[in-house]
Amino acid sequence: MEKAKLDFLQFFSLIVLFELGSTLVIGMGTAAKQDAWLTILVGLAGGVLLFLFYSALFRRYPDLPITGIAQKVLGKPVGTLLGYLYVVYFMYVGARILLDFGILSFLSTLDQTPFLVIMTLMILVIIYVLYLGVEVLGRLGEMFLLAYLLVSAFGALLLLFSGLVDLAQLRPVLEEGWTPVLKTALQTFTFPFGEMIVFMMLFPYLNRPKSRVKVGLSGMVFSGAILCVTSIITTAVLGADIADRSTFPLLTMIGKVNIAEIFQNLDVIAVLILIIVGFFKIAIFFYAALIGLADLTKVHKNRLVYPMGMTILFLSIIIADDFVEHFKEGLAIVPIYLHLPFQTGIPLILLAVSLFRHRKGAAGTG
Amino acid sequence: MRPFERQKRRKKKKGKDQRGQVFHEESSPLFHDLQKNLNKIREELGHSTDLVVREFEWDGERKIRFAAVYIDGLVDNNMVGDFIMKSLMLESRDDRQTISRKTAFDRVQENGLAVGEVKITRDWNGLILSILCGETVILMDGWDEAISCGTKGGEKRPIDEPTSQVVIRGPRDSFTESIRTNTALVRRRVKSPNLWLETMRIGKVTQTDVSLMYIKGIVDEKIVREVKNRLERIQIDSILESGYIEEMIRDSAFSLFPTLYMTERPDVIAGNLLEGRVAILVDGTPFALVVPALLNQFFQTTEDYYQNYWISGFLRFVRYGAFLLSLLTPSLYIAATTFHHAMIPTTFLITLVAQREGIPFPAFVEALIMELMFEILREAGIRLPRPVGQAVSIVGAIVLGEAAVRAGLVSPAMVIVVAITAIASFSAPSYNLAITARLLRFLFMLVGASFGLFGIALLLIVVLAHLSSLRSFGVPYLSPLAPFVFSDQKDTVFRFPWWSLITRPRLISQKNMTRMEKDLRPSPPDKPTEGEGNEK
Repeated sequence: MEKAKLDFLQFFSLIVLFELGSTLVIGMGTAAKQDAWLTILVGLAGGVLLFLFYSALFRRYPDLPITGIAQKVLGKPVGTLLGYLYVVYFMYVGARILLDFGILSFLSTLDQTPFLVIMTLMILVIIYVLYLGVEVLGRLGEMFLLAYLLVSAFGALLLLFSGLVDLAQLRPVLEEGWTPVLKTALQTFTFPFGEMIVFMMLFPYLNRPKSRVKVGLSGMVFSGAILCVTSIITTAVLGADIADRSTFPLLTMIGKVNIAEIFQNLDVIAVLILIIVGFFKIAIFFYAALIGLADLTKVHKNRLVYPMGMTILFLSIIIADDFVEHFKEGLAIVPIYLHLPFQTGIPLILLAVSLFRHRKGAAGTG
Repeated sequence: MRPFERQKRRKKKKGKDQRGQVFHEESSPLFHDLQKNLNKIREELGHSTDLVVREFEWDGERKIRFAAVYIDGLVDNNMVGDFIMKSLMLESRDDRQTISRKTAFDRVQENGLAVGEVKITRDWNGLILSILCGETVILMDGWDEAISCGTKGGEKRPIDEPTSQVVIRGPRDSFTESIRTNTALVRRRVKSPNLWLETMRIGKVTQTDVSLMYIKGIVDEKIVREVKNRLERIQIDSILESGYIEEMIRDSAFSLFPTLYMTERPDVIAGNLLEGRVAILVDGTPFALVVPALLNQFFQTTEDYYQNYWISGFLRFVRYGAFLLSLLTPSLYIAATTFHHAMIPTTFLITLVAQREGIPFPAFVEALIMELMFEILREAGIRLPRPVGQAVSIVGAIVLGEAAVRAGLVSPAMVIVVAITAIASFSAPSYNLAITARLLRFLFMLVGASFGLFGIALLLIVVLAHLSSLRSFGVPYLSPLAPFVFSDQKDTVFRFPWWSLITRPRLISQKNMTRMEKDLRPSPPDKPTEGEGNEK
């Protein structure tokens, strides 16, 4: 483990940027049509509930990341295996997001550049930042969150002034009842709110362990609010139909802005914002995998960062044959077969086992 | 000087510090015989022609021979003449007859010299060093000690107006090449007994005085200790400018960004000392160093604190903007014209394309040529004698601005871009940081040309990551922005009015935080006397 500490604001920024990460890019819950914003709220509620379970877990083991907790609870062999599985999981998700961003840059701005080059650059930058350490990542987070908030407020103002926002598009609410909302909410629950599992690796770096629950919850609620507002605006501008069909709804929306022939074609700036939040998302997944592996193998993280970065790059190339397959996997397969067990299943089992053991231990001594 | 002496002695006991020694590893004691001593001095200094040896004697029962040794030009001639020679030769004429050597020496030391600074030297290294420092050394025949008198003087430049940090409102004095003048300029502003000064000699050959200044009780002791450690580590033959020190003690050896602040203004030094920083003054240069230096400091001028705070805050915004402009303008132009045509409003795009029609180079090459030409012009303008320099800039402006465009080598838009870059970089209050932007600009142009805005964004992340990893003497370089310190925002981008700048920067001084009493906001007295009347 590194000897570094993040303060509340840095941690908060990382959580917010992380949650916003790829969700802004591909849009969330658009399958629920105009009720997308509801699915986000439901997903957020589920995420908060899950996070409370996490917090019960790390309250029992305050100095340990999830890989360490697994060893403590399930014993060395099983725990170690589980730790390695988590490392692979984090790397895989990181690779997926890297591919998302490669595709995004390729489709939106750099259509002449092979997206392998784009992704290589991206991962090299991330390697550099992680080499410098988590403190640097935290400080970058602080600065970029501020920049992000300013730019997005500016963007929202532009959208308002260009008269594109039509709140009538949000109606009728719950046209087909709660069923589609809840169905889609499973997606929004695992992605991005369930992904808070990553921060189970990072929490030992928070300078005041007591504020963990506070920072986690406030970060989640804040980013949930931003996502919800974004979703409302997207639907109000594009209409539920286009928002659902568009690959990158946010870009499509920003591209519509045109004020006095001066502020137009702003999608490039939106891409920049997306790249920056994406950078944080990949970096955090990568970092979680990195310290997980460093902890398991007792090798210093700076010796692992380069090979692991290259592995993630390689993974992102081989995981899908084309964009369609990649997005389909992301929506249909990964949430159920990967996210659910790793985000919900294993932590809950860990919590249950540790509670059980604790009770047994207490009974034994008593 | 005193702390250094003490330190030298202590180190010598350990037998490893050789810093204070001029020519010899081991310092030998003086001879008893005057002539031998004088010969040795002449020999050591290679019979240099500026060495003055004045021998004289007290006649009496036993003749006592004396010699005064100094280097012409390093001493204050009036002082040597009036207060040393005169008083020595005229001293105690009456009872010279009976005086013994012992009492003679003591008397000379105690009463015979009408100068302030007098000390005894016993070894050769100390003796030679005092002579070379501009002291006058008195030797007595048959005695193995010498008296060195502080007679430093000689020609030096008067205090001038600062040339690199000009202000409209504020004091007009700047440092000179003499360290004593410089320390005095600071002391005149801070008349506190807590303003402490420590001096050490660095440079085996040049023996340059390097002084540390700080205000005890405000400064963080850890930083002082750290600075001292780093200065003591330096084993170099010469220190000719504070730049030598800067590169030897900075935190990150390869960074493009300056982590020491450089100034030639005594009021800036005073202000920084009062914030809890440490100043390093070097003899022989008007440029003093300040540590720890944070990035935001390079965007501030001393005038920010003297003029109206609204305009100060505004100007700081302008400076940050100008820095970004000077860093990014060419690369953004290249990226926009090469990759992101859609970003440019249509009418403007048409004009641009029309301009670029017939230009033989891609935007990147065009920009590179122009930027390099500008750098050459700038360098030529500095190197040439002043009247010629102006001619060069006029020629350059006409050649670059007019002829190149007419000839169809570059587009007018590119000339504008280069001009914006240049003006923006001139507006930087700190030369150090302006250089950084000048160099980084080319890197940004390269990635802008290769990967468009995407590349620029990634490089920005890299630069920011590098900046967040930097520290200046233990203080994070980007603070108080990252890590974010709320209470220091009053004097970072904004400059709040003086009555609200109650505390010092938090990460720098760490103790004695309060600058002033609370509630000092000036306000007109509310409705005088009436209230009292009503009460009755």
